[in-house]
Amino acid sequence: MAHIDDELEGLKREMLGMWTLVQLQLKKGLESLTKLDKDLAREVILSEKRVNSYELKLDRDCENIFALFSPVAVDLRYVLAVLKINNNLERIGDIAEGIARFVVDVDDNSFDNNLLDISELLLMYEECISMMESLKIAFETEDTKLARSIFKQDEILDEINFNANEIIANYIRNNIDKTEQGLYALSIIRKLERVGDQCKNIAEEIIFYVEAKVLKHKKD
Amino acid sequence: MKGQGITFRRIKDVFVKGLIILMAGCSVVPLVAILYYVFKQGIEAINWDFFTQLPKPVGEVGGGIANAIVGSLLIIFFAAAMAIPFGISIGVYLSEHGETKLAYFTRLVVDALQGIPSIVIGIVIYIWVVKPMGHFSAFSGSIALGIMMIPIIARSTEETLKLIPFSLKEASLALGVPYYKTMMKVIIPSGLSGILSGIILSIARITGETAPLLFTAFGNPFFNFDIQHPIHTMLTPMSSMPLIIFNYATSPYDDWHRLAWGTAFLLLVFVLMLNIITKIATRKWKVQF
Amino acid sequence: MESTVLTASKFGAYFGKNHVLKNINLDIYKNKITAIMGPSGCGKTTFIRCINRLHELTPGATVEGNLFLHDEDIYKMYPIILRKKAGMVFQRPNPFPSMSIYENVIAGYTLNGIKLKKQEKDELVQESLEDAALWNEVKDTLHKKGTFLSGGQQQRLCIARAIAMKPEILLLDEATSALDPISTASIEELLLELKKNYTIIIVTHNMQQAARVSDKTAFFYLGELIEYDETKNIFTNPKNPKTQNYITGRFG
Ligand SMILES: Nc1ncnc2c1ncn2[C@@H]1O[C@H](COP(=O)(O)OP(=O)(O)OP(=O)(O)O)[C@@H](O)[C@H]1O
Ligand SMILES: [Mg+2]
Repeated sequence: MAHIDDELEGLKREMLGMWTLVQLQLKKGLESLTKLDKDLAREVILSEKRVNSYELKLDRDCENIFALFSPVAVDLRYVLAVLKINNNLERIGDIAEGIARFVVDVDDNSFDNNLLDISELLLMYEECISMMESLKIAFETEDTKLARSIFKQDEILDEINFNANEIIANYIRNNIDKTEQGLYALSIIRKLERVGDQCKNIAEEIIFYVEAKVLKHKKD
Repeated sequence: MKGQGITFRRIKDVFVKGLIILMAGCSVVPLVAILYYVFKQGIEAINWDFFTQLPKPVGEVGGGIANAIVGSLLIIFFAAAMAIPFGISIGVYLSEHGETKLAYFTRLVVDALQGIPSIVIGIVIYIWVVKPMGHFSAFSGSIALGIMMIPIIARSTEETLKLIPFSLKEASLALGVPYYKTMMKVIIPSGLSGILSGIILSIARITGETAPLLFTAFGNPFFNFDIQHPIHTMLTPMSSMPLIIFNYATSPYDDWHRLAWGTAFLLLVFVLMLNIITKIATRKWKVQF
Repeated sequence: MESTVLTASKFGAYFGKNHVLKNINLDIYKNKITAIMGPSGCGKTTFIRCINRLHELTPGATVEGNLFLHDEDIYKMYPIILRKKAGMVFQRPNPFPSMSIYENVIAGYTLNGIKLKKQEKDELVQESLEDAALWNEVKDTLHKKGTFLSGGQQQRLCIARAIAMKPEILLLDEATSALDPISTASIEELLLELKKNYTIIIVTHNMQQAARVSDKTAFFYLGELIEYDETKNIFTNPKNPKTQNYITGRFG
């Protein structure tokens, strides 16, 4: 009987490993951004390969579990959730890689601190990292309350994203020479907003798996 | 486990096998000898007259046992006609309600009946039937033999029906078939081969019975079968093959000895045939579950 | 709107003093396949054997509460009439060994002494065997003994025999548990076909089978009905932890 439990446990370990890796990508990305450390950014880009292999491995594990154990009820929801969170994490990994590429590509030696401040980009980034951490814990402990808490954080991200257009436009008008930086910042904000969306999806998957409630596409 | 060498064990193996075969051979020898002897003695007596003629008085050569053959067949037929319904009913009862007290008692009685010496049954029927009637009769012989058949038929029916899976009965009942029809049309037909072979074996068993007939059918040197009044015929004394053997073999006349041997041979063939028919019947009617 | 065929109300069953079914309340719906699941010994067989009153054949077996077929109390009907309305297929195929395939199919009529014309019989046999997806395999050997068929074919023959009686409810007790996947699949397919005309109750230990073919699933545990719901709900989101433990294989 415990056999499928072993499999599910293994799946969880794998998933958490991937999770840690993606978190690390995000954190390193943030650091490389503030210090404009291009080597660190390259490291983030390279680690994308490992995230991809995690994704493939998890996909295959889920497939095997479906084929060999025909999971039902909570097990079924769990494997389905893993399959989807796997996808979400991979996308977040992609985004982290994209941000790192900006860092590599940007010409200047450092970002304008003022820009980072007024656009609240760093705040947004940290919010993302914190959401990821909360979700990881929520996933590990099946804590749906914690998972739900990130919906609030996502709203913050949305707001920052919403305001960013105007702020960056102003910034560029005032600092024509730093137009490129402004555009990069806007792109990063857009990407972080997408990280927020993915986190929301992950939260929904966790709630689906634990409580069998479908929150997706529900306006409340 | 270490033990004697493999060679020794193989020798032992061969030895035991050889011993078994030898013993089996030893026990077959007398049987074959008897068969051979009866065959050799009997075959000489067999001719057309043997089947068609009545026994001749002492001194006259020839004659046959036509009356005994017909007598045997008649007595057996009526015995079977009486015993089969009883035997099957008892068998069905025992297999259906085997757990009850009455069934236990019945089974005890049936087993006891099977063990009673046939001569005792003959005496009892003599007292119960022959004496009140005032004369010997083939009918009383049939009763005696029929009583001997009942336990055999009952037990073989019971054993056969017990082997029929309960699921078959359920299948029938689940179709809304009433109980008695289920028994009559599903269970008994499914066990037909077993019941049939029980019946035939019981016939084979009583065919050679002599003792009960001595007190009942008694014997009759004449051919008294009247096809128009079979019942009436049954109420008179009647000859039968075992009686012929008994009477003629104990007589001092060679010619009668000859007839006795012939009759013995005929009985043997008859029983053999019954056994073969049983085999064929079991195979032919056998139902697989 | 679903219409109810069978209703159990506070229904219970005993073997002597052994209370094996307790306070069962459930509705079986028309033209639906209802699966009954549960660990061994929980009373599944007992329940469906109560529906056609085979339960009472066991000495000392009794029932309490009510079972209604439509609005008629099953335990006030004549068993022989009830059993014609509630056909049953058993775990092990049990064709009548003394009968041919043809005779087996119409056994419900012949054994009950219902006279049919030759043509009616022929039609009934063909129709039932076709419904049971067996016709093509046996149409040339109709007069051979039914017991010469393979296990899966025998089981379909038993289904044909049951549906030849045109029952209202078809009860199947682990009817495919002794069969290979191909025969199982063809019987499952058949059930889905049959539910257009019949109401079907299956007992199965094969959860995938319950999931595949049934519309409703009832989970029994220790003689009680623990959960009864749409099969989909049972297999994705059972309400009762016992059900969940059972279907995910974490029992005990
Ligand atoms: N003939 C009988 N006599 C006495 N008790 C019985 C009899 N048949 C079943 N029982 C008892 O009734 C209970 C329910 O049995 P039932 O056969 O209904 O279980 P089930 O759910 O069909 O199990 P399985 O999955 O093994 O077929 C069991 O605990 C069993 O011990
Ligand atoms: Mg059962």
